[in-house]
Amino acid sequence: MIQLVIKRAAWAAVVLFLVVTGVFLIANAVGDPAAANLGPRASAEQLRVYRRAHGLDRPLSERYVRYLGALAQGDLGRSLRDDQPVTAVIRQRLPRTALLGSLALFFELCIGLGFGIFAAVRRNTWVDTGVMSAAFVGVCLPSFVTGPFFLREVAFRLGWFPVGGYGRDALDHVYHAVLPALTLAILGAATYARMMRSEMIEMLRADFVRTARAKGASPVAVVLRHAARNALLPIVTMLGLSLPLIVTGAIITEKIYDWPGIGRLAIESIDALDVPMILGIVLLASTTVQIGNFFADLAVAALDPRIRAGASR
Amino acid sequence: MRSIRRSEARATLCVLATLGALAACDDPRSGPRFAGARGDDAAPRRGGTFVFHHESDVRGFDPHVAFDELSNMGIKLLFDGLLDYDHELRLIPRLATALPEVSADGRAFTFHLRHDVRFHHGRELEAEDVRWSLERMLHPSTASPGVAYFAQLEGLDDYTAGRAPHVRGIEVLDRYTVRFSLREPDQTFLNAVAMPFAAPVPRERYGPDAVEVARHPVGTGPYILEEWEPGIRVTFRRNPRYWQPGKPYADRLIYELNLQRETAFMRFLSGDLDHVHRMTPADRLFLGQNAAWAPYRERKADADLWGLEMNTELPPFDDVHVRRAVAFVIDRERWSLARNRALAPLGQALPVGFAGHDPQLPETQVRDLARAKAEMRLAGHADGLPEPVTLWIGEGPTGKAYGELAQANLAEIGIRVELKPVSFPIYLRETGRPRTAQMIFGGWSQDFPDPATFFDPLFHSRAATPTDSTNRSFYKNPTLDALLDRARSERDASRRTAMYREANALVTREAPWAFAFSNIRLEAWQPYVHGYRIHLVWSNCFRDVWLDLPRRRLAQRFAPRAGVPAALLPFGGAR
Repeated sequence: MIQLVIKRAAWAAVVLFLVVTGVFLIANAVGDPAAANLGPRASAEQLRVYRRAHGLDRPLSERYVRYLGALAQGDLGRSLRDDQPVTAVIRQRLPRTALLGSLALFFELCIGLGFGIFAAVRRNTWVDTGVMSAAFVGVCLPSFVTGPFFLREVAFRLGWFPVGGYGRDALDHVYHAVLPALTLAILGAATYARMMRSEMIEMLRADFVRTARAKGASPVAVVLRHAARNALLPIVTMLGLSLPLIVTGAIITEKIYDWPGIGRLAIESIDALDVPMILGIVLLASTTVQIGNFFADLAVAALDPRIRAGASR
Repeated sequence: MRSIRRSEARATLCVLATLGALAACDDPRSGPRFAGARGDDAAPRRGGTFVFHHESDVRGFDPHVAFDELSNMGIKLLFDGLLDYDHELRLIPRLATALPEVSADGRAFTFHLRHDVRFHHGRELEAEDVRWSLERMLHPSTASPGVAYFAQLEGLDDYTAGRAPHVRGIEVLDRYTVRFSLREPDQTFLNAVAMPFAAPVPRERYGPDAVEVARHPVGTGPYILEEWEPGIRVTFRRNPRYWQPGKPYADRLIYELNLQRETAFMRFLSGDLDHVHRMTPADRLFLGQNAAWAPYRERKADADLWGLEMNTELPPFDDVHVRRAVAFVIDRERWSLARNRALAPLGQALPVGFAGHDPQLPETQVRDLARAKAEMRLAGHADGLPEPVTLWIGEGPTGKAYGELAQANLAEIGIRVELKPVSFPIYLRETGRPRTAQMIFGGWSQDFPDPATFFDPLFHSRAATPTDSTNRSFYKNPTLDALLDRARSERDASRRTAMYREANALVTREAPWAFAFSNIRLEAWQPYVHGYRIHLVWSNCFRDVWLDLPRRRLAQRFAPRAGVPAALLPFGGAR
C-alpha cells in the first residue's frame, strides 16, 4: 500500500509540473496581459509601468524560473487583474464552488441512486423504461442546453428560483444554488441511475438476497439493507472521481448562472490574461483531480486485494 | 412488449403535458412586473438600494489612472470635478462656484472653489488639493493616460522632467482659488478639467501605493465606496457630508459585475436589477418594440464613430481612389438593418451633435456603387484587386458580423476580404504599429463633447506613432494638421465650427476611414426608478437616481409561484 501511495504521489508531481509548464507557456504566448488589463485607452507609459511593476518586462525563462521558485514555497503570486494574492482570491471563491458542487453531488446521489433502485426493483416495467429513457436523455444533455433551459423556463418564466446570481446571505446562497446544482447534477444523476440499476439487478439475484427473503425479511429491508448496501460499493469508487466537481466547479454552469465561483473566476482570468490566476486555478484543478483519482485508487485497492498485490510487485 | 408501448405513450403524454403547462403560462416578458408606490408624478425622496449591472469588471477607482467605462461609472459617484456637463453637454460648475474667469489672451483660467465641500473623511476641500491632485496625475510615476489632455499647461515639461517641484501653470492664489495657465490658448482645456483625471483627492490619503489608492478611494462625490468584491459586486453608500443639500437620494447603489447579457436581461425583467443597458439583439428588439416599457426606456445615438480604417501607408490603401471606392461601396443602411437598427448610419468624420458635423456635407460618404466602381477604375483596378486584403477584427460575434458585412460589400467592387479575428490585446498591439494592419474594423468614442476628441487622436499626424498609435490609418496631411492646430486655439465659436467643418470635409473626402455608423444606446429602468436619463459623456451616471419605494407588484396574468412560500422569493420584497 505504501508503495502505491509513493508511486501515485510521484506520478501526480510529474503531471502537475507538466501542466504548470504547458499552461505557463500558452498563457504567456497568446497576448499582452498589460494591454488586456489596462484596456484600449492605456497610454504607452502606463503599459510600460504596468509591465515593469508585474515583472512582465523580464524574459519568459526568467519569469518561469521565478514562478517555479515561488511555487515551491507555496506562493502562487498575485493576480494581474487586481493585485490580490491568488491564494486569497481562490480562498474567497472556493466555498461558493464547494457549496454548488456539494449540492450538485447531493442531488446526483439522491436522484441517481433513488431512481436506479426504483428502476431495478420494477425492472422491465414502464417505470424502468421511463427511468432509463430519462437517464439516457440525461447522459446526452450538456449543461449548456439544460442550464439556459432551466434558467429561462424554471427561474424566469415560472419564477420558482432566482434568475442567476449568488444571493445576499447564507440561506439565500443555498436558494440561488439549487438550479445550477440541478443543472450540474443531471449528467451525474443519470450515470448513477444507470449504474445503480445494473448493480441492483445483479444483487437482487444474488444468493444472499434470496436467503434474506427466505428468512422473512421485509421487501424494503431486502432492497435497502441487503441489496442496495452491497450495490453501493462501486458507487463509492465513483464518488472519489466526483471530488474535483466540488472544488473546481463547472465553468459553463457557473457562467450561465452568474455564480461567482472558481469556474467563473477561470473565465474572467482568461479574459484578462491573468496568468498567475489561470495557473492557480489550473493547479487547483489538477491537484484535485489527482487527489480524487488517488482516493478512488485507494478505495479500489482497499476493496480488492488483487490490486494491492499488483502494486506491491 | 405491450406494457413497454403503453409506458412510452404515458411518458410522451407526461412530457407533452409539461410543455403544455409551460406554454400556457403568459410570457413574463410582457411588461414591467413592478410599479412605484406613488406613481410618476411623485417628488424625489431618499432611501432604497438601486441595483445595476455590467458585463465586465472594475479595474480600479483611481480617477487619475482609470480610463475605462466601468471604472469611470464608479468614479463619477465617488469624485466630483471642478466642472461637469449637463445633459445638453454644456459645461457647468460642480466644485467651482461658477465657470472660470478667462484672461484676455485666453491662456489663463481662474477657478473659485465652493466653501462647503468636504472629502468623504471629513476634511474641507482646498485649492491646494486641486493643485496636488493634478500634479499627482501629471507625475511620470503615476503613468496616467490623462497627461496628454493637459499638455498645454505651462511648465509641464520641467515638472515631468524633474527640473521643477511644481507645475508652473497651476497656481494656488488663496485657500479657495486656483489658476491654470497655458502655453497657448486651447479651447479643449476646460473639457480636460471636467474629466475625472482632474478630480481633487485628499493628499494625506493618497500615498505611493497605487493599488491601495485604487481600492480605497476618497473623494468629494455623492457616494462612498462601502464594499468591493472583485469580479462580483461593488457597493456604494450615500455620502452624508455631500455638499448638495438633500442629495444623493438612494441610500445605496450596487454594481453587479460580470453578468452575462442574457441573464442580466432576465434579472431586469424579473425585477432583480433596476436598470439594463447591454443586451442581446433579440432582447434589444423586444425592449425597443414593447409598448409597456416605452415610458421607461430611452434610445439615443452615441457620440462614437465606427468604420473601416485603411492603412494609408500600405497598398492598396495608399491610393486615395481605392479608399474612396471602399467608402462609397459600404451599404450603411443594410448594416443598420442587419444589426436590428441598433446603429445610426454615418458617412462623415464627426458624429451627430458635434460642432462641425454637417448633415448636408457634400463630401458625405454614401452608398453609390457606380461611383465606387469609377474610383476603382481611376485607381487602375477596373476588374478589382488581384490580391485579397486583410481586415483585422476583434474576436467574437460582433466583429465577425461586421467583417462579413464588409466582405459582402467590398466583393461588389472586386475586393476580396480575408478576415483576421484576433484577441483584443493583440488587436490593440498590432493595429497600433505602422505598416502592420492593412484594414481594421474599429471605432472611437468621445472623451469630451468637442470635435477635437475625434480629429486629434484619429487623423492628426502627431497621433501616428511607432507603437500604440491612435491614428491607426497612419493618415498624415500637413494641411489638416495646421487646420486642427488653429481650430484648437480659436476662441470664436462660429469660426472654430467652420474650421472643424472644413476638416470634416477634408477627412471625409480623403477617406482614411470608410465611416459607417454611430451606435444607438438603448437603456431601460424599472417604473419605480426616477431621475435617470442617458448622458452622452458619462455612461450610466446614476448619481441623481431616486426610487419610489416600496415598489408594488403589478398583477400578472399568470401565477408563477403557486406553492412557493413568499418568504423564499428573492423578488418582490421591499428594496
